[in-house]
Amino acid sequence: MPHDLSDPAALRALLAHAVPAVLALGALLAPLPALRVEAVWRAACATVRLALVAAVGSAVAAVAEPGGGGAAASARPVVLVLVALVGWVLARYSRTYLEGEPGQHRFVRWLLGALAGASLVVATDDLLVLALAWIATSLALQNLLVFYRDRPNAQMAAHKKFLASRLADVCVLTAVALLYSTFGTRSVGELAELAAASHALAPAAQVAVTLVAVAVLLKSAQLPVHGWLIQVMEAPTPVSALLHAGVINLGGFVLIRLGELVSATPAAQVLLVVVGGLTAVIAGLVTTTRISVKVALAWSTCAQMGFMAMQCGLGLYEMALLHLVAHSLYKAHAFLAAGGTVQRSVVGAMSPQAPTRSTTSRVLVALASLAAVFVATHLAGVPVLERPALAAMSVVVALAVTPFLGGAADGAGRLARWSGPAIAFAVVVLYFALHHVLEAWLGTAPSRVPTPTDTALAAFVAGAFVLLFAVQTYVASRGSERPARLLYAWVYGGLFLDERFTRLTLRVWPVRISSEGSSIPNLRHDTTR
Amino acid sequence: MTATAVPPRRPDASTADAVREACRRVAPTWPLDRFIAVNPYWGYVDRDVRSVAAELAALAGVDTFVPRTRRLEQVRRGEITREDLGAALRTAGSALSVDELLAKAEDEPAPPRRTTLVTDVADRSRLRREPQSWGDVVVHQISQHTASYFDRTQSSWSLPREFGLFGTWRRLLATDRGLPMRAGRADFARRVTALPETAPTCIEFVVEKLGVRPEHRAAYFGALLATVRGWAAWCAYRRWQAELAGGSDDHVVELLAIRLAWELLLVEDHGLLDRLPAWRRELEEHADEVRRLRSVHDVDWLLQHAAEIAFQRGLVHGLRSSADRVDAARAPDVQAVFCIDVRSERLRRALEDASLDAVRTRGFAGFFGLPVAHVPIGTEAARPQLPGLLAAAIAVGETCEHASHVAERRRDALARGRLWSRFKGSASSVFTFVESLGLLDGVALLRTSLATSLGRAARPARADLAGLRAQDASRLRPSWDAAVPEVTMQRRVELAAGVLRSMGLVRDFARLVLLVGHGSTSANNPHAAGLDCGACGGGTGEVNARLLAALLEDPAVRTGLAARGVEIPATTHFVAALHDTTTDDVRLFDTDELPASHADDLRRLEAWLAAAGDATRAERAASLGLGELRARPNALAGALRRRAADWAQVRPEWGLAGNAAFVVAPRARTRHMDLGGRVFLHDYDWRTDDGFATLELILTAPMVVTNWINLQYYASTVDNRRFGSGNKVLHNVVGGNIGVFEGNGGDLRIGLALQSLHDGREWRHEPLRLGVFVEAPAAAIDDVIERHEVVRRLVDNGWLHLFRIDDDGASHVRCPGGGWREAERALRD
Repeated sequence: MPHDLSDPAALRALLAHAVPAVLALGALLAPLPALRVEAVWRAACATVRLALVAAVGSAVAAVAEPGGGGAAASARPVVLVLVALVGWVLARYSRTYLEGEPGQHRFVRWLLGALAGASLVVATDDLLVLALAWIATSLALQNLLVFYRDRPNAQMAAHKKFLASRLADVCVLTAVALLYSTFGTRSVGELAELAAASHALAPAAQVAVTLVAVAVLLKSAQLPVHGWLIQVMEAPTPVSALLHAGVINLGGFVLIRLGELVSATPAAQVLLVVVGGLTAVIAGLVTTTRISVKVALAWSTCAQMGFMAMQCGLGLYEMALLHLVAHSLYKAHAFLAAGGTVQRSVVGAMSPQAPTRSTTSRVLVALASLAAVFVATHLAGVPVLERPALAAMSVVVALAVTPFLGGAADGAGRLARWSGPAIAFAVVVLYFALHHVLEAWLGTAPSRVPTPTDTALAAFVAGAFVLLFAVQTYVASRGSERPARLLYAWVYGGLFLDERFTRLTLRVWPVRISSEGSSIPNLRHDTTR
Repeated sequence: MTATAVPPRRPDASTADAVREACRRVAPTWPLDRFIAVNPYWGYVDRDVRSVAAELAALAGVDTFVPRTRRLEQVRRGEITREDLGAALRTAGSALSVDELLAKAEDEPAPPRRTTLVTDVADRSRLRREPQSWGDVVVHQISQHTASYFDRTQSSWSLPREFGLFGTWRRLLATDRGLPMRAGRADFARRVTALPETAPTCIEFVVEKLGVRPEHRAAYFGALLATVRGWAAWCAYRRWQAELAGGSDDHVVELLAIRLAWELLLVEDHGLLDRLPAWRRELEEHADEVRRLRSVHDVDWLLQHAAEIAFQRGLVHGLRSSADRVDAARAPDVQAVFCIDVRSERLRRALEDASLDAVRTRGFAGFFGLPVAHVPIGTEAARPQLPGLLAAAIAVGETCEHASHVAERRRDALARGRLWSRFKGSASSVFTFVESLGLLDGVALLRTSLATSLGRAARPARADLAGLRAQDASRLRPSWDAAVPEVTMQRRVELAAGVLRSMGLVRDFARLVLLVGHGSTSANNPHAAGLDCGACGGGTGEVNARLLAALLEDPAVRTGLAARGVEIPATTHFVAALHDTTTDDVRLFDTDELPASHADDLRRLEAWLAAAGDATRAERAASLGLGELRARPNALAGALRRRAADWAQVRPEWGLAGNAAFVVAPRARTRHMDLGGRVFLHDYDWRTDDGFATLELILTAPMVVTNWINLQYYASTVDNRRFGSGNKVLHNVVGGNIGVFEGNGGDLRIGLALQSLHDGREWRHEPLRLGVFVEAPAAAIDDVIERHEVVRRLVDNGWLHLFRIDDDGASHVRCPGGGWREAERALRD
């Protein structure tokens, strides 16, 4: 790496690499066994603070002097700041939260280790380093997931995750080898430029990109290998926040970084849209049947990652990036604040009941919303008619805002009646404005006219979301009828996909888990705690 | 199964009786937003505590004691003396010497052999491809089903309920494709469908099939319910509420039917028929195991009682030496009535000290005897503001100027909030939410994360203020005029007179009478209500204090009271207040309505309260790891307020940890003592108690409440896995407010979290049965015991220790079954 700091690119790279370097150093040095817990945490907090400063510095440098390296290169500083920020919040939180818990040295080591790995995935331009960092992140996280080693369910979930992750690792490493042998470079930036310049990707490269897509689906807990994500609530809350906000979305980041390659690989696109889209819809429905807050959040992550993968398949990398960042912030907050669920339930009980609306009125409102969104976006100059992917997103957004449009029918107060449509309008405007700005900034606008595959995939997505809306409408009005009850049983069971996958896992690699395990300090060993 | 395998049936013990017996033993658990303390042994108080400990150990492996090593450690450190041990030995009539007892205590007993279930038999032959124990699989399945049956908050698409808990379970299980059954899904579905359709018939069917003898059924059912203790407790809560309202509820029977049906399903699925005879023989060993454990426990009970004596000795001694420090003839400037909560003790002492006894404090149940529920303005959510033992009779609303406008504004705000949560929570809109407004959560993340570092400590949001503008919230007050049913003037006067009589406050009113409720402040804490006022149904005491102040400030009520012989001087004013037990700040309400004549009184009172807050905080500092700030009052106050607002804080305060005694006597009896926040204090003067009606009330209500609190802390400490909720960092809220799982699933957890009892190094709660000290004539106390079964059970079955204080401060301990012994002699070796 050149160290001439007058070169902005070098400065940027140095600052970016400083983030994983600082975190890795912290992971090694902060939890020295000789140090007292308080000192370990002081060191850990200093580490994440420094990492955050470096990340922000690299982002400032990037804004001041944008460089090349593929259309979505600007995603790097953004995601780097995100990882550092999440790390900073988590370290501060955990320091208080884990007071008195045994094994805090271990916790700090793997927390900083996982953050170092994640930030290196983001910072590096070398595909091999990226792959290795990704694997390292997963291994560090594994240690946090079994923080309470004696909890049986923690072991089972970790076991399943380990299998899925290692399979993903094989895919990634194979893909790296294939890409290197095809293009002769490991630089992601150069790969992107080469892919953009060529008309069609070589078959080997297409295989490689498809393998990357498979790895991403495996690592972001898409159906049917989602079980581990749902069942890892056996570790302290900040570990869940780290997983859901800082690690699981790396798959999305890799797809965005390799956007030019993905867009040139129809097999990968189809895979991402079909698996991601189905996961988004199914896991989204399952979320609404969950009875505990953390498990509901986990299913929601599963759905969100599906949606993000789907958007990558559709070529909407700027929306995928927005999704990645916003979801991280939202999910980190949701997990860390999960204790407030009780208070929110009290507020919910105080709130006026939403009146049940008839199926007809729901459908009419949805149709009106669809029409309004299409007309409005078209008039505003959004190319919804030219780009099927945007049309599909318009359907998603139009159906999403329908709850705001039923205000008059809901009989809510005067203010709610008018603020509903106003909010809906604002959401739609904000959505497409963000899309417009981000696409221009990242330079992710598609360089080719939509292919029939693109159109078919967009139609698939639109259809899936219309179906989702239809199911919800049906359940809302006919929830107690027999077909709805049967549907409930299947959705509540997550289509029983995980159980099948678990049985398969155990056939491939059995594990025996002791019962009656628990993190509770045994009173009998009171004095040693 | 052949007919000979089924033992002959005794006609006298019907299955229904056994079901009733097992189900009534389950103590309820309140939802998290009303998380009052419950004695988890409540269903067993009709039996002697020793036999219950043995029974629970044999039934479900329940632990009732701290490890003997810990008691021995206390002996070594001198916290338990040889004298204490000797007194315990003598009280028990034991032939052992102290040294013999200590020698025996060196051996930790073998863990109990709990009742074997068919599920355990299945687990003995677990296959290699079965990673989880069948016990865990069954509990998980039942727990998830029961949660989805009761949840109407977390899930927006919920399980239809029309077939009941058991009926929906039976139907859903037949369609379940996720269970790792050995004989395959179709076979399993067929067996599930073959189960009888209702819970009682299913129970009868299964016990007959399993061949459980009638006399073993109750214990067997009890052992089964113990595997789903949390949900059984939830069902018991539903039953409790239904019975308070004059109805009934049988969900707990349905839960039992489900758990029992699983036993048969496992027998059929695993082909365990030939193992049943041996299993039945194991069931029959239950009685022997109970007997064995009773004798094993002898040593533990002696050590336990010695620890209790060690604490009580100091109290007995202190009560005796009570010097009349307070000049009774000097009228106090202020009378302040606090809740009996142990946390009031510190602040009361500090307030008396700071004011040089110009403030005279009293203890009374923190709901101030008002049988009310509170309905926040603009809502229909009535929140009971009284102990869980009682049902609210009056729903009180809030008023202010332009109340209807405020109400409408709030309804709008709440409706908007509901729309938002629907937008954020619905499958079809959550993606759009993330991509349009999700970034705003980054702002929330930063703000909350920095809340503790920002200069002014942000107070955590309060649910009861949701949807209100700050200026509206500050103007609102609970009002008798907004009550349903309407409260007539006559009823108001009756209420006021009744409360004042029970308080013993009917004459010699000071110029200011402070009515102090209490509440806590913590952020992001599912068990926050557990730190609030248990007497107010797990809410803060604000509403009750303000309602009582309003009642007693009403001139018409005062006129009515005068007619009943309670003359409140015109110069006396009642002020409501709230003691924040986390920060020890005291907030006064509605002081703008005090006449100018009382401005100086108010100013002085505020200064005393501030000084008392500083002193109380300094006393608590070390226990919260803030010992180094003890001498810097402002820094300490700031640190405590920040701590209370910290979303990562799992130990905002120690709640009622350490509670060990309940003193029912005039404050003068304890005024000279530092009780360390471990004692409930209820003011009571038997000389002014007509017909001992107040005594009867105290022993039947506040004493029961203190027993519930005391044994909740006790049980959560000695067996946190079964009676506590485990590790807070793993808590996962179920059903919005129903309870928590520890981690991913498993049974619903009841009781207190480890972090409420343990600081990471040592236990903060010492599990001691409550010592209740009552200053009243023996005959009067005996009479209440005689007439009230609940009191008799608690006292005679050893669930608490009852002491009587006589006129010169000497304590007498109540002997089991009757009679009193002089405590100092009883405690002497």
